[in-house]
Parts: sequence; structure tokens; C-alpha cells
Amino acid sequence: MTEQKFKCPNCGQITSFNGDSGEVMLVSCETCNTKGRITFSNSGMNNNYAIEVSHLKKVYGDLIAVNDISFSVKKGEIFAFLGPNGAGKTTTVEMIESIRQPSMGSIKLLGKDVETQFNEVKEKIGILPQEFHSFERLTVQETLVYFSNLFKKKGDVDDIIQSLDLTSHKNMLYKNLSGGLKQRVGVAISLVNDPEIIFLDEPTTGLDPKARREVWSVIAGLRKKRKTVFLTTHYMEEAESLADHIAVIFKGKIIAEGSLEDLIRNYGKNSVLHIKKCKNADDVIKMLNQEGYEQVYSEGNGDIAITIDYKERVLEILSHLRHDCIEYESLDIRRSNLEEVFLRLTGAKLTEDKEDAP
Amino acid sequence: MNLKIIWMDFIYSIKGWYRSKGGMFWSLAFPVILILLFGAIFSGIGSSKYTLHIQDQDQTEMSRMFNATLNSTNLFSINVVDADVNVTSFIKEKNIKSLIVIPKGFEQTIQESFLNPSARVDLQFYFDPSEQTTTQVIRSVITSILQEMNKNLSQSRTIIGVREISTITTNFNFIDFFLPGMIGFTIMQGAIYGSIERNTKYRKDGILRKLLTTPITRTEWILAKMLFMMFLAALTTALITIIGVLVFGMTVNITAWVIVVIIATSFLFSGMGMLIGRFVKEEETADTAAGAISFPMMFLAGTFFPLEQMPQFLQTIAHVLPLYYVNEALRNSMIYMNQNESLINGAVVIIFAAVFFISGVLLTKWKED
Repeated sequence: MTEQKFKCPNCGQITSFNGDSGEVMLVSCETCNTKGRITFSNSGMNNNYAIEVSHLKKVYGDLIAVNDISFSVKKGEIFAFLGPNGAGKTTTVEMIESIRQPSMGSIKLLGKDVETQFNEVKEKIGILPQEFHSFERLTVQETLVYFSNLFKKKGDVDDIIQSLDLTSHKNMLYKNLSGGLKQRVGVAISLVNDPEIIFLDEPTTGLDPKARREVWSVIAGLRKKRKTVFLTTHYMEEAESLADHIAVIFKGKIIAEGSLEDLIRNYGKNSVLHIKKCKNADDVIKMLNQEGYEQVYSEGNGDIAITIDYKERVLEILSHLRHDCIEYESLDIRRSNLEEVFLRLTGAKLTEDKEDAP
Repeated sequence: MNLKIIWMDFIYSIKGWYRSKGGMFWSLAFPVILILLFGAIFSGIGSSKYTLHIQDQDQTEMSRMFNATLNSTNLFSINVVDADVNVTSFIKEKNIKSLIVIPKGFEQTIQESFLNPSARVDLQFYFDPSEQTTTQVIRSVITSILQEMNKNLSQSRTIIGVREISTITTNFNFIDFFLPGMIGFTIMQGAIYGSIERNTKYRKDGILRKLLTTPITRTEWILAKMLFMMFLAALTTALITIIGVLVFGMTVNITAWVIVVIIATSFLFSGMGMLIGRFVKEEETADTAAGAISFPMMFLAGTFFPLEQMPQFLQTIAHVLPLYYVNEALRNSMIYMNQNESLINGAVVIIFAAVFFISGVLLTKWKED
């Protein structure tokens, strides 16, 4: 038997229930009789999980920002929480970090309940909040020493500076650093207490492709140190290149979860034909739609992407292009990626602006 | 409570402040410039009518004639004080700035002067030296009237003279009035804007969210920041005082009570900054809101100009402004040595500080909704 705490979303009353691991129980609040459902996690018995989230929900008035999601993150893995802006990624990660109060559900970090035992895990987690900017007029080294001094358990600041390739910038004021360096310092700050779990909330948003890849290389380095990394991102390439495990969130719900291979195998059966620099792209899209091709998208600059379910379709499309004397620069066919998986699952594109992607 | 963390945060706050040109300017250079500027260019600030109290202890035709002459200048709004009132206590209690006493025997001495060439009577002119303009105007009017009267009575001799009695022990001028106001104003600005930065910019930048996930508690962090605000307040007070003493030759009394008032002032306006940051969450808007509150308060609370020179309704408004009590508490203790008045005003500052700071701490939070 394990104990599970239940917080009433209506009156806030916390009640404890006992049940078997994995059991789902219908419960009602002792104070206001509001009905709910709880699942008894098996975290107490399985210490392979760094993060366990069960039936997490966040409601703002009429808006359900996070809608009853459950997932687990294994120790030592890089877990990507992938979704478009406004999907509920940051709300979820901030509930896990105890920055926001969940409306319902339970969260455990290293087996400790976040609601009641968060102070016990503070020393073991490192966090880079979304759009984080540190103290402008402290140097890189001073910034790291400052945050390091807040913890009992301290990593070696000089080692962290070296491992994140910040040595030549350590005496620069934070405000004078480039965007990429600031994010690297942000990641460095999240490592000052040598944490077991690192939360990186959109660590590369707003960075140019070069700076983004620099941050990726830092995150990839954390895998070698066997750190658990919880990464939120809306860049599919980021999740593809870094994550061991990916959860796709859309409109507050997890719509798919698994390794990259699992997701492509299960949801991305099609290939995508890309027509580059096509003249009169809008007319071509209209023409293809009329011919019965439903998944035809403009990627800007005259580029068109067409989802095709079997190879013969390519010949059909080429025949249409030739018949209408359409000019274009090149054609290529790619296997499904996360973008296509997302498209297939939601009917929407993950990245709104192609130029925003790396 | 982890004192090491509090001390560490305090030291890093000083480092950050020391490197901020804006911070250094507003907390150190700006008050110094204002002090030097106002001290140097001070000139009378005109008023069409000046309040003057008169106690006629003589109650004779001659004394009434003197009153009537003063009244006929149309410069004064004259208030009559009963003859049996103790003038010294009356001035203290009512905070009177200018009072003339026509002593008993006024008419009789004048009559005697026709027979006795050495007979002389002196009016007593009680004045507040910090009210330079008012004092100067009253002094020159009285002198003119008496010159005319003496000329008519004796051609050359002074039969009616004036004995000036300062309502305060030392002679004061505008800079004496201005310096404590400048200290209060500078502490207010530093505390409000510092608090707003911590509650809006740090929130936007994710620093508060980051701190929430570290072992530092909100109490420790607020204490560290208050330690820094008190350090700034002490530095500001010391610098302004040194300028006052060295450049303007002032006598400034720094008492334990002054330090208490300064600490309370730091808490008061830090609390006010927290509340502004709580309700106006964007940094730029919060700065504007802070300016909209602090700048009118600066002018209305008697920082630069004595309240008596303002219309009555503005004087009433001043009495609900916390900065007014800060100014009065500091001025009375540091300059006028009127400790009782300072205690009363300082107590009001402490009450304001408790209300604003406690409300600020309770109503602001690190957690997001």
C-alpha cells in the first residue's frame, strides 16, 4: 500500500488516501464533496524515476492550461517536452518546479512529493527558467559564486566555467554578454549545486542558429555526466538531436510520447516532398488542393511541402507540374520527422515561422 | 535564518550598485548637485500675504495705532494673540513662525521719552530663521514703520526699537531647512525604485522564480535587501551631511533617533515600492507609477519649500503624506533640536513604515499564480 495526497481543486483541502501502486481510485473531498480521481504511483517502489507526474491539471478560470497529464522521466535521460507556444509546457514545468500551484494532481521529484517536501529536493535540482536574465552588473564568475553560495552542496565553479567554455568570459559583466553566452551562463547557474535533475525551460528560444547549437552541445554534455535533463522546447530539431524521450504536448494534453524512433514509427508513416523556390507557389498549392492533395503547405520563399503516403504520388505530382509548366529550382523527398508527426497528430505546424527554426 | 546568505547577498548588491552609473548618480551625485544648486541659488520665494501674530500687552491707543499701521500695509494676515497668553509656549505649541509682542508700558514709555531722552521701548519680534523670506519681509516692514514713528516722535532718537528673538536657538537659513528634506527624499527615491526593480524586473527576468527553487528563503532575501537599503541610506545621509557641514558650515545633529527615523524611512518606502510592484507588474509602468507618486509627494511634503507658503488645501494634503513626517522628524531632530516634535513625527513614520512594509511583504510573493 502507498499513500497519495489529494488536493481538492475546489476548496484546496488536502486529504491522504491509501492504495496499491498503479491503482486508480475515485475519491471525494471531505470538505466540499468534490469528486476526483487519483492514481497511486509506484515511485516509492521504483527508484529509477527522477520525475513522476500524475494527473496534473492547471485551471485559470475557464481556461484549462494543463489538462490531466501524466508522465515519468527516468534518471539519467534527456526528456524533451515538445509543443508549440501556449501548449502548456512552461505551466507544467513550473508546477514541477513548485513555482506554480497545480489545480490537481501529484508530482514527485526523486520520490519526494513537490507539494509537501519540495525543500528537501531543492539541493538536488537545478533550474533555468524561461527567458532568464541574471543580475546585470555581476561578472560571470560572481554570478556563479552568488548562486553557488545559496546551496549547501556546491559544484566547483571553476570546473563549471571551464566545462561550459566560459573561461575567457568569466570576468565580463553579465549585461555585456551575447544572447548565446547568457544562456550558457544560465545553464551554468543551473549546475552550481551539482544537481541530479536539471530543468531547462526553452533554453535556446531567441538565439541564432550558431548560439543554439552551442547550447545544444552543452546540454548533450550533461548526458555524459548522467544528469537527468527536463527540456522544454518548441524546436523539433532540438528534441530530435538531444532527447532520449519525447512527450508532445498540445492544448494542455500530451498527445504522443516515446523515443524519436517510436514517434516516427507510430505517427509519421508518410514522407514529405519538398519543392524549392517554386514560381507562383500559391497557385500551385491551389492546383494541388484541387487535385486532391490535402496536406500541402507553403514554407515561405516559394517553398512547398506536400505530405505523400506512397511513392507513386511523386510521379503524379511531377506530371501535374510538367503539365502546367511550373518552374522550380529543386525537389527532394524526406522521411518523416517530428514536424510531420506533429502535423499528423494536430493538423497544425509546430514551428510557426520557418526562419525561427535552426 | 542563514546569516551567511544574507551577508553574501548584501555584498553582491553593493557590487552591482557600485557598477551602476545610474544607481550611483541617483543615490549620491543627484542629491549633492541639488544641495549645491539650491544652496547657491536660494532666494526668497514670494508670497502676497504673510501670516503675522501680534500680542498687544499694552492695549493703549498708541499700541492700537501701531497695529493699524501694520494692517494698512496689506502685506499681512494678522492674528491677534490674547495679552495673557505665554508667548514662548504658544509659539512652540502652535508652531508659529512670526510673532510681534507690543510690551506693556509701550505708550507710557513713548510719553516719557518727551521728558527723558534715554527712554526707549523695544517690540519683541519672534521669528523662525528657517522662514527666511517671511522674516525678511516682516523685518523690513517693521523697520520702516518704526523709522517713520521715531522720526515723528523725536527727529533723530530711537524711542521704539525691535528686539529680535529667534524661535529656535541657532540661526538657520534655507539650506538648514533643505538638507533634511533632501535626505528624506533621496532615501525615498532609492527605496521605492530599488524595491520596484526587485519586484518587477527580477520577476520578468526569472530571477525570483530561480530564487524560489533555491534554499534561500524570501525572508532572508528581503532582509538582505533591507540591509543594503539601510547601507545606501546611511551613505546618502553621511554624504549630504558632510556637504552641508563642509560647504555650508551647517551644524547638524545626528542622534540615535535620526538613525531610527532613517531606518524606518527605508522600510516605509521599500514597502511602498513593493506595493506598487505588486499592482503594476510591468517594470516601465511601475517606474512611471512610482514617479507619479514620489514626485508630487516630494513637492507637497515640504522637501524644498516650507508648507506655510502653500495654499491651505495643499497643507492639508501634506499631512497625509508619509514624506512630510519624515522631513519634519529629521528637520526637528537634526537641525532645530526640537526633539519632542521629532519624536511625534518619527512615531508617525514608524507607524507608516510598519503598515507599508508589512502590507508589502504580505501582498507580494515569488510564486506565480
